[in-house]
Amino acid sequence: MSKSFTSRRDFLRRTGITAASLPFLMNLSSLGWASTTTPRKRLVVIFTPNGIVPRNFWPDEPGPLESMTRILQPLDALKDQTLMLQGVCDKIRGDGDGHMRGIACLLTGIELFPGDIQGGSDTPAGWSRGISLDQHLKSKLQADPNTQTRFGSLEFGVMVPERADTWTRLCYAGANQPVAPIDNPYQMFDKLYGQVKDRDTIASVLDVLHADFHKVESLLSAEDKQLLQQHASMIREVENELRQEKEMAAKKKDMGHAVPDLPRDIEERNDNMPTLSKMQIDLMVNAFTADFNRIATLQYTNSVGGAKMKWLGIEEGHHDLSHEPNTNDDALEKLTKINIWFCEQVAYLATRLAETPEPGGGGSMLDNTTIIWTNELGEGNSHTLDNIPFVMVGGGLGFKMGQSLQFGEVPHNRLLLNIAEGMGHPLATFGNPDYCGDGPLTGLV
Amino acid sequence: MAYTRSVPDPKTAPPPECLPGQLHLTIATSRISITRNRCRFSCGAVVILWQLVSTIVAARGAESINDKPAASLQSFSFVESAKPQLLASGAVIYADKCASCHGDMGQGISGAYENPLVGDRSIAELASIIDRTMPEDEAELCQGEDALAAAIFAFETFYSEDAQLRNQPPRPALARLTTNQYRQNLSDLYTFFRGRSVPDGERGLHGIYFNHAGWRDNKKAFERNDALIDFDYGEDSPGEGIEAKEFGIYWSGGIMVPETGRYEIVARGMGSFKVDFIDSTEPFFDNHVQSGDVAEYKQSVELVGGRIYPINVEFIKRERKTGNVTAQFTLAWRPPHGVEQPIPTRYLYPGWTEQSFAPQTLLPPDDRSAGYERGSTISREWDEATTNGAIEFADVVSSRLWPWYRKERGKENGGEASDRDLLRQFGCQLIDMAFRCPTSEELRKQYVDDQLAATTDDDEAVRRIVILALKSPRFLYPAAAPIQSDDFRLASRLALTMWDSIPDVELRNAAQDGTLHGDDAVRQYARRMLDDPRALAKTMAALHHWLNLSRIGEVSKSSELFPNFNDPLVADLRASLDLFLQSVVQSEASDFRQLIGADWSYTSDRIAEFYGESWRPTGEQSIDRFSRTTADPQLRCGVITHPLVLSALAYNDTTSPIHRGVFLTRHLLGRVLRAPPEAFPPLSPDLHVDLTTRERVALQTSPETCQACHITINRLGFGLEQFDAVGIWRDLEKEKPIDSSGGYIDRSGRSHEFNGARELANYLINSDDAQSAFINRMFLHFVKQPPAVYGTQTMADLKAAFQQSEFNIRELIVNIAVVAAKGATTIQ
Repeated sequence: MSKSFTSRRDFLRRTGITAASLPFLMNLSSLGWASTTTPRKRLVVIFTPNGIVPRNFWPDEPGPLESMTRILQPLDALKDQTLMLQGVCDKIRGDGDGHMRGIACLLTGIELFPGDIQGGSDTPAGWSRGISLDQHLKSKLQADPNTQTRFGSLEFGVMVPERADTWTRLCYAGANQPVAPIDNPYQMFDKLYGQVKDRDTIASVLDVLHADFHKVESLLSAEDKQLLQQHASMIREVENELRQEKEMAAKKKDMGHAVPDLPRDIEERNDNMPTLSKMQIDLMVNAFTADFNRIATLQYTNSVGGAKMKWLGIEEGHHDLSHEPNTNDDALEKLTKINIWFCEQVAYLATRLAETPEPGGGGSMLDNTTIIWTNELGEGNSHTLDNIPFVMVGGGLGFKMGQSLQFGEVPHNRLLLNIAEGMGHPLATFGNPDYCGDGPLTGLV
Repeated sequence: MAYTRSVPDPKTAPPPECLPGQLHLTIATSRISITRNRCRFSCGAVVILWQLVSTIVAARGAESINDKPAASLQSFSFVESAKPQLLASGAVIYADKCASCHGDMGQGISGAYENPLVGDRSIAELASIIDRTMPEDEAELCQGEDALAAAIFAFETFYSEDAQLRNQPPRPALARLTTNQYRQNLSDLYTFFRGRSVPDGERGLHGIYFNHAGWRDNKKAFERNDALIDFDYGEDSPGEGIEAKEFGIYWSGGIMVPETGRYEIVARGMGSFKVDFIDSTEPFFDNHVQSGDVAEYKQSVELVGGRIYPINVEFIKRERKTGNVTAQFTLAWRPPHGVEQPIPTRYLYPGWTEQSFAPQTLLPPDDRSAGYERGSTISREWDEATTNGAIEFADVVSSRLWPWYRKERGKENGGEASDRDLLRQFGCQLIDMAFRCPTSEELRKQYVDDQLAATTDDDEAVRRIVILALKSPRFLYPAAAPIQSDDFRLASRLALTMWDSIPDVELRNAAQDGTLHGDDAVRQYARRMLDDPRALAKTMAALHHWLNLSRIGEVSKSSELFPNFNDPLVADLRASLDLFLQSVVQSEASDFRQLIGADWSYTSDRIAEFYGESWRPTGEQSIDRFSRTTADPQLRCGVITHPLVLSALAYNDTTSPIHRGVFLTRHLLGRVLRAPPEAFPPLSPDLHVDLTTRERVALQTSPETCQACHITINRLGFGLEQFDAVGIWRDLEKEKPIDSSGGYIDRSGRSHEFNGARELANYLINSDDAQSAFINRMFLHFVKQPPAVYGTQTMADLKAAFQQSEFNIRELIVNIAVVAAKGATTIQ
């Protein structure tokens, strides 16, 4: 089912921006270019569901990444910039089934509230009890004028079901405050560039308006004319400002800040998933280029997601396949293909960032960005929360790349501490402090 | 008399009106508390001066200085035949002794006396003031007959209202839509397409109860109307035939909004719930995932008075593996000036309610410099706000209205119309409505066809049409729009006057059919329009305007003296006043005299708890928690003794006869009061422990320059002294009996005496000044132009009709609408 655009009212409601401040906001450059003196650090979290196929995912031995495993083949060209972490486990227990905790505790590191969302097993649960790391870091970055951007973070989705429950929400702005990802690229476009579009529309009708002002004015008495003339001259002012804005925009376009052209009328349907994914990634790169945000999440479907990847020749739903035992070679093959496709999406984003020079600085955008590809489960059929896959690409966090590390069995809260540290905002604990015992993991830097 | 020149504190100076401590009152915010601010009165020199005053006053006797008209006005009477001669000598005297400060036509002289000499006092009053005070510091130079002659010259040449009209004939000023008009107009552009819900007699929300965790037809237990949505079921069942462990309830209907403003909507509950409000495109509140303890959602939203917005609540309790849990749900709001409370029954409507639209764009406040909101000025800020408003409406049209229209209209005529044909049809209907008349082909080309031709993208085309239409002067300036047809012009004015909105389909049809000819036909339509909730909302706003209620925000009192005077009580007082006003207006007689003379009011248990047994609800004519009081002609005189009015017009510990007097002078009697010469902090009661409030006020305003206005203000305000700072009856103050005697000299110079609120009320309801003031305020509020714009006879005609109708408020509004609908005639 295709979704309606969020209206401006909703936009204003969400962001708390009053109408009066809109004209300032519309001048995108004011917040769009935060300080260029300190190197930017960006973080992207990509979520894919239902676990992976361990034998085709993990390398046999830890150490330097010399050859990529089958699922990670799409990242082969970027293996020097890739880091794999094995033995990182989601230790959060309490209410909710494995899928619920798998997605909702992944970035929050804390238990769920009791509630009445009932899964197929375990106790029912509600939302997470705490903020997710991406949102925590966003608020830190936004609080500092040097790292403040227009949005701080953007939450992308691809084919996320149109329902809000524990299985469909990865990010939390606080306890009981799930953040809905935007999975409609046009809606995301509207959020990023809608005002620009509105300004274009206004600019294009001002001539007609001006002519009609004159006509109406000519029928009025001298005293009444004044008010209308005053108004008409304001419209002339707006016209001039819009023209200047347009010229500025044209200049920016030359600098690579073009408003992206999206393919038209791509409905949110299962079969359009590859196109939707590409559109969202393109928008994400555009947003980073314009420095609208430093943090992004990209959520594919949801935990228990049931995408049918017919474009890979797979008719069955992803979640159903993931329940098949390890003896079902056909199912494992299909699951492997599915995960290769996901990896291709990660690689597409990484490649686009690698090909884009860092605005106002040396190197590529990937040098200042870390993409973390992760999952709700370690393995689908066992529903284990151990060995959650964490694959990182890019230099944003300053980790030592080009290797695979084996941690044995450590709570993932500790990894969240590494990420916070890498983003320049170290923490003693995050989420449930019981799992933060020895602080950040060692050996990453 | 050096003491009349007190040292103004630069921090407090100069308020536009001479009200001690009233600086708080004039700050244009919604949170205004009237508190005495003694710390501002810190200048020792001033204190000493005032102590000097008290000594002098004590020597002269306080009552001889104040609260009685000084020189007898009789001494300034004259026979009509002597007038021409007095006028001639007055011209010479004025030129000789007055013009150097006041200008040859009373226009004022920069650096001397800058304000123009205009007002509404009688010749005798003017003469008396000149006699006593003019020329400044040399009053002996112009006294007796000279003062009278100067007064007659000033009165006839430039001072009086007639002279002002003659010298500067009023003309209708072109105006843009006011904020409320803008919102009403946009709302009705939407409802033109989707339809508008109007309530019938039923109240509450309709509830359908299921013995199942969701909607299942064969599990329906019962249906009923619930007066309030405020339930705590605990671990129990909500009713018969429903098991406690699991159930579903669906409430539906509409919320009626009494006044335009910002409302905070609140949903609080334990259980899974979803609330749709205004439109159901996406949930207003979504607690579909019950998580943790009681969930609370709050959202502020701009709503428009006199409109109904659809509300739907889905509440589900699910069985849990972890055992039975509690269930509860409350739907509440915090209305403008109010406190949070479950949405009262009188605002809930159980019938089916159409999807709606509530504009959220904030506009800068309208000009109020003439005492009423009008669209007389524009600013860049306003222009940008209207752009944002147009974009907001374009968003709604493109995401909801146009897709709906395409689907609904597309089916007509065998579904053969193309999207482009439908889009043109939609666009033409939109501009017909927005411009308030059928549009010419030329306009359709400009506003619709050219926009369609400019883009192949339907969404972009519809946005262009909407933005252009809503930025057009034809929409924003209803009076400027060159509407060719007299009938449509009349319909446009009528809708703007009665509803602040655009003509509805019925009114347009009447204009089309030519049935709007003649006063009687217009009067009939106006009567019908008066029954619309939008007209009731406008009438209530007009009465608030008459009482200056919009300037009253928060009322707070000394917690030491009045410990239980709290926000919930004030909210109940406000509701009591509104129910009283509404009940008078909507009664058969709709009698203006009841507004001031009624010996009953509305009350609640909470009010009775604070105000005592005389405020105990009788249970008669009850509306929600409120019902009528007993009749008591001493204790209750309509609005003038209503506790909200009396509390607001008082300090936090003592009464303020000056606030009350200014209110009566300005608002109820419509008299002009000039700004005070300087800002005065009030005399501190602590410095005058033996004086009553009345004596203290008399003392402070005793100087002659103060008396020019305070002779009117104080004597009216003293009439309400029997009511204390919160409006409770009292017989004594500081162990002295209350003196509530007072008086008033009307516009024609006649003197009236009264003692206490009842005698004051009895005077007011028969007073020509009070009736004129009421008519004038209603006219300004409804039409947003002064009556004289519609001819010098307008006020006299309206007053005659008002008296003839036994002071019927509803008929007055209808007659005002008839005048406004005909349009203005400029006086030559």
